[in-house]
Amino acid sequence: MAMTDITPAAVLVAPPSRFEIARGRFLKYGFGSPLAIAISIVVFAILGWIAWSFLDWAVFNAVWSKENVEQCGEHGACWSVIDARHRLILFGTYPFEEHWRSTLAAIAIVATVLLSCLPAMWQARRLAILWIVGFATYYLLMEGSLLGLPQVTTDGWGGLSLTLFLFAAVVLLGMPMGLGLALMRRSEMLIVKWFAVIIIDTFRSLPLVTTLFTAAVVLPLFLPSWLEGDKIWRVIFGFALFFACYQAEVFRGGFQAIPKGQFEAGKALGLGYWSILSQIVLPQVFRHALPSTINMVVVTFKETAIVTIIGFFDILASGKTAFGTADWAPYYIEVYLFVAAIYWVFIFSLGQYGEYLKGRMALSER
Amino acid sequence: MNKYLAASAVIATAMTVPYMAFAQSETVKQIQERGTMLCSGHNGSYFGFVEVNDKNEWKGLDIDLCRALTTAILGDPDKNQIVPLSWAQRFPALQSGDVDVIIKATGWTMGRDTELGLQFSLPYFFGGTQFMAHGDLGITKAKDLAGGTICVEAGTTIERLAASYLQTINVEHNMVSYESAAELRSAYLANRCDAFAGWGPNLAVTRATEIDDPEAHVILSDQLSSEPISAAMRQGDEGFVDTVNWMLAALLIAEEEGITSANVEEMAANPANPRVARLLGVEPGMGERLGMRDTWAREMIAAVGNFAEIYDRNLGEDSPYKLDRGLNNLWSHGGVLYAPILD
Repeated sequence: MAMTDITPAAVLVAPPSRFEIARGRFLKYGFGSPLAIAISIVVFAILGWIAWSFLDWAVFNAVWSKENVEQCGEHGACWSVIDARHRLILFGTYPFEEHWRSTLAAIAIVATVLLSCLPAMWQARRLAILWIVGFATYYLLMEGSLLGLPQVTTDGWGGLSLTLFLFAAVVLLGMPMGLGLALMRRSEMLIVKWFAVIIIDTFRSLPLVTTLFTAAVVLPLFLPSWLEGDKIWRVIFGFALFFACYQAEVFRGGFQAIPKGQFEAGKALGLGYWSILSQIVLPQVFRHALPSTINMVVVTFKETAIVTIIGFFDILASGKTAFGTADWAPYYIEVYLFVAAIYWVFIFSLGQYGEYLKGRMALSER
Repeated sequence: MNKYLAASAVIATAMTVPYMAFAQSETVKQIQERGTMLCSGHNGSYFGFVEVNDKNEWKGLDIDLCRALTTAILGDPDKNQIVPLSWAQRFPALQSGDVDVIIKATGWTMGRDTELGLQFSLPYFFGGTQFMAHGDLGITKAKDLAGGTICVEAGTTIERLAASYLQTINVEHNMVSYESAAELRSAYLANRCDAFAGWGPNLAVTRATEIDDPEAHVILSDQLSSEPISAAMRQGDEGFVDTVNWMLAALLIAEEEGITSANVEEMAANPANPRVARLLGVEPGMGERLGMRDTWAREMIAAVGNFAEIYDRNLGEDSPYKLDRGLNNLWSHGGVLYAPILD
């Protein structure tokens, strides 16, 4: 239909915008009857009171700088603790003068993850190069000795930059491993199939804490020292394996949603196994598995806090250390809120990215 | 003539080799080769013992003892590396060589000493069950609690200890148990109890951190029990146990002799007695018998101070916790800490 065909009458019957619909419903259900009005008033009064009390505590009566810590009282938040201890929360016990390195390293990891999210990067070679460059940058900056900077061993890594690194390494390593396990599980060779089944079911029946504790503490007791490697790599590998076993089952669900006829059609066209997989099957598997995958990734971000049990200073552990001294002990709520806000920023972004991907993939189904 | 020289060389070697083998500790040798000392930290903070300051540096009683040991072995307090460890992880980490020594508020128990294959140093701290009471009652010892209400955590060893102790000293009381430590504290703060029982250092921390006016509460002087806290090491390196024990001994002797980080050089220039002279390496003896430098104790005291300085800075009067020395004083001041004889 050409533009000129639109008559004024057609404009008049144009559907209302989503905002107008929402407003209409809000007025209808919220204020349509006296009872609805009464309930709405009560609910909004309670919500408003909660919001006001929080703002009153967190903003209006709050003390912001560490110099004014004596003014901290019972009625307001004492953000002085964040002012004084934010570097501990963000960087753990990483040496004070070297924090710029930890900052850059964390930025490198965030950049790596962001770039991995761009559809333009979704080619095996590009992703491989990106991940190698990203993780090498992180390691070189944090460890330092290869760049001629003062060496900081992994015992000194901590805070947000350690959490981000653990998360990114586990997910980026675990995702291909999970796909591999899922493919092995579908294999027609029984040995391969059973190998995958045993690995997946073994790791799924062990608690994550046990897996990490074994990787960090028990393995070095009987591994030869040349195979031992640094604790952090053993832990990342153990964590990634754990992630992969769950992710393999997520992918398996994706595979099951694809009718067998598609494989057969591919074969009939003369395509090989890998072509059928990469051209026909996998794109659909990823689409079906997407919501559960985002779920796994979000859970993994939060689960990184478990590494404190094997002596890593992730952001939650360094947060606890921040109020773990007599001067700051009363202000643990402020520290927990600060850490929660950081978690929220990252996890909310992940969720929103998931929504974007869903929208993008839905295009192919229209 | 040549034969005579060769023979004397052989004899000289034969005499020194067993002596050197006796003096050298494998762990000390490893630490010296590595150039860093690996000490246990904590995966968070344990008030007074292991904390992190505003400059992201470790501090606390246990950390200072690690710094003292590092200075003794390597001559520089900053050459240590604190490896954060959780409670569950500390003994496997020691066995696998992730750390050289555990100085981490660790009690000396028979199970750890035998089954876990560890060996312990002399105790450097005694933590015992004590009472905390409201200051306005004007009391200082448990005898004064007569007729009062004592609160305890239900089902703990502390509950039994407190009951039997008060019975022994013949104090009429009314005991109330609470399910959790938090409930117990709030009951005490709400004035429902006159006093409550707990582990001494924890009481001091509670007083310093969770109570608005620490001055209004007193920790009573009675010690109901006492648990020795020691450094733990791997079994099989007696030389290293000697090193750690003499590190602790040197800190205590320095306190006895009044040697502090401020006056150590003065004392070394003009030693008051032969013991001080030997301790500070003015006369030989401290070093070679442990395979270290003669001046290690002098350097150590200059770097971290004597035991009193370390205690006061982290738990005692110069710290926010203000934990009385009590049992952790020298024997000559009513405590149970003592050094072996420096001959």
